[in-house]
Amino acid sequence: MTTETILRVDNVTKHFGGLIALDKVSFDINKTEILGIIGPNGAGKSTMLGVISGYYPATSGKVFFAERDITRLPTHKIIELGIGRNFQASTLFMSLSVSENLFYGFHLSYKLPIWKNILRLPSAGKEEEELKQRGIQILDKMGLGIVKNEITRNLPHGYQRILGVCIALATNPKLLLLDEPMTGMNQNEIQTMLQLVRGIRDSGITIAMIEHNMTAVMSLCDRIVVLDHGQKIAEGLPREIQTNEQVIEAYLGKK
Amino acid sequence: MKQLFLRHARLFSFIIAVIICALIPLFVKSPYYISLLVVTIVNAALSMTFIMMLRTGLISMCVAAFWGIGAYASAVLTINAHLSFWLSLPLSAIITAAFALIIGYVIIRNAGFAFVIMTTVIGMLFVVAIGSISALNNYNGISNIPAPNTIDLPFLPAIIFDSKVAFYYLALVIFVIVILVMNAIYLSKVGRAWNAIGLNPRLAVSLGIDVFRYRLLSFVITSAIAGLIGSFYASYQGFIIPTAFNLFPKSIYLMVYAILGGVEYATLGPLIGSAILTFFPEFVSMTQEISIIIIGALLVLLIIFLPKGLLSLLHPKTAFAPWLKKGQHKNKIMPVSERPGEAKKI
Repeated sequence: MTTETILRVDNVTKHFGGLIALDKVSFDINKTEILGIIGPNGAGKSTMLGVISGYYPATSGKVFFAERDITRLPTHKIIELGIGRNFQASTLFMSLSVSENLFYGFHLSYKLPIWKNILRLPSAGKEEEELKQRGIQILDKMGLGIVKNEITRNLPHGYQRILGVCIALATNPKLLLLDEPMTGMNQNEIQTMLQLVRGIRDSGITIAMIEHNMTAVMSLCDRIVVLDHGQKIAEGLPREIQTNEQVIEAYLGKK
Repeated sequence: MKQLFLRHARLFSFIIAVIICALIPLFVKSPYYISLLVVTIVNAALSMTFIMMLRTGLISMCVAAFWGIGAYASAVLTINAHLSFWLSLPLSAIITAAFALIIGYVIIRNAGFAFVIMTTVIGMLFVVAIGSISALNNYNGISNIPAPNTIDLPFLPAIIFDSKVAFYYLALVIFVIVILVMNAIYLSKVGRAWNAIGLNPRLAVSLGIDVFRYRLLSFVITSAIAGLIGSFYASYQGFIIPTAFNLFPKSIYLMVYAILGGVEYATLGPLIGSAILTFFPEFVSMTQEISIIIIGALLVLLIIFLPKGLLSLLHPKTAFAPWLKKGQHKNKIMPVSERPGEAKKI
């Protein structure tokens, strides 16, 4: 099996004032794997995703995406390069319908120049129609086809979480960062989400995922990185992590 | 035919509305009421620019200042540079846009409260700045701004701007163009990006939208429109004074028109709001002081009971404030069969 690195985190440190959220963390994400990032509360997992996607500038260290240094790029540029992300809380356009949410997500997919779009030329209308269709396709694939005309605010929590992933997919990512996609879901919904995440990976998209649900992480992830107090304390296959002394200590305390 | 009408219902109703507006001077002979209509149009257009910025999450308190920049630019161009009005109209829009680009580049990075404060300062500073420039005749303002040059048409009588009615038609033409341009932008990729930023800037960024650039774009476009209207206004009034473009009451009023009509209705809201607040004090013939008090009180009541503005009455279900409805569950609960787990089986 060839392992090609898609994203390299190199010695990243992030300070929030006096608080050290991340302390010299390094790891790689390989192409088309599902990488789990786990750790106790406040370990710096979400900060890590924030640094990768450019929401927080790193204090020191570098992040490389497909061999390109993206550490100092603004978020929208990083998204444009092919990193999609969802949010911990349901961050959606609540007042819009589900299909409109997806349609808004295609901001980067317009190929025609902007003035053609503003003048509403037939070619621009056709392009918009195609994007809408692509949105419906994504929704169908993710099992949201039946609620595509609902107002997002009225959706149950599980659907909203899935919609968050759908919108991230609309930006055409090569690497998808998922921040706790399964929080607050029931068992049934978690199973659906597991299937969906596998489906996304099988379509050729690399996934890095923060998740607290250990059963889900262990069954889904190819590799796992464990953070604690801003430091990487372990990295390896799920079964290695399960028996790692340091990891058990971080979660349960010293014996 | 019927199908064609239904498919383009908005466009057809717009055309009908424009035709009705164009016919008004045939029935309303009083130049006073015609001048009120012109004021309504000017205010509505400016209020529309306020809403356009609001869409991207920017609450601008200096719409009137950019309107003033347009008016002063036009006055200087026509009086000092002896340019024709028809040339200075687009030029003053471009000049205003240039100012907006420079100012916006500095202040838009700090959206939110900082933006409100900074535009407030700019709105007040504009009056002081113009008032201290002796070349612009300080606080006395500029007078004798020429009316638009006569347009000679082949085979038709020439259009001479010597009456209120002629200005009314000019205002109407500018207003229609502004509405068409604004709606074209709203319906485009740009409009969707603006809407996305206004609804949720964090999510908008994660869709690859350059929030700063799109906000700056809305700031510049709206300022250009305000400058255009300012140029028209200068020529229509014939004189301008700095205090006409002050933060209070002008910029505040522009905001009030938008809120009264309903900020979700980008075109109709400001028009309704500005029409009501322009004609209402005239019909009940009140003095300025008392009308401000009554309008203020009505506005408080409106915000308590109809927070989405008068036009939200078109959708009575969602128009009234949530606390007026008792015992209603706000969220519709999904039937179990439609929950995600079951979605696959269907």
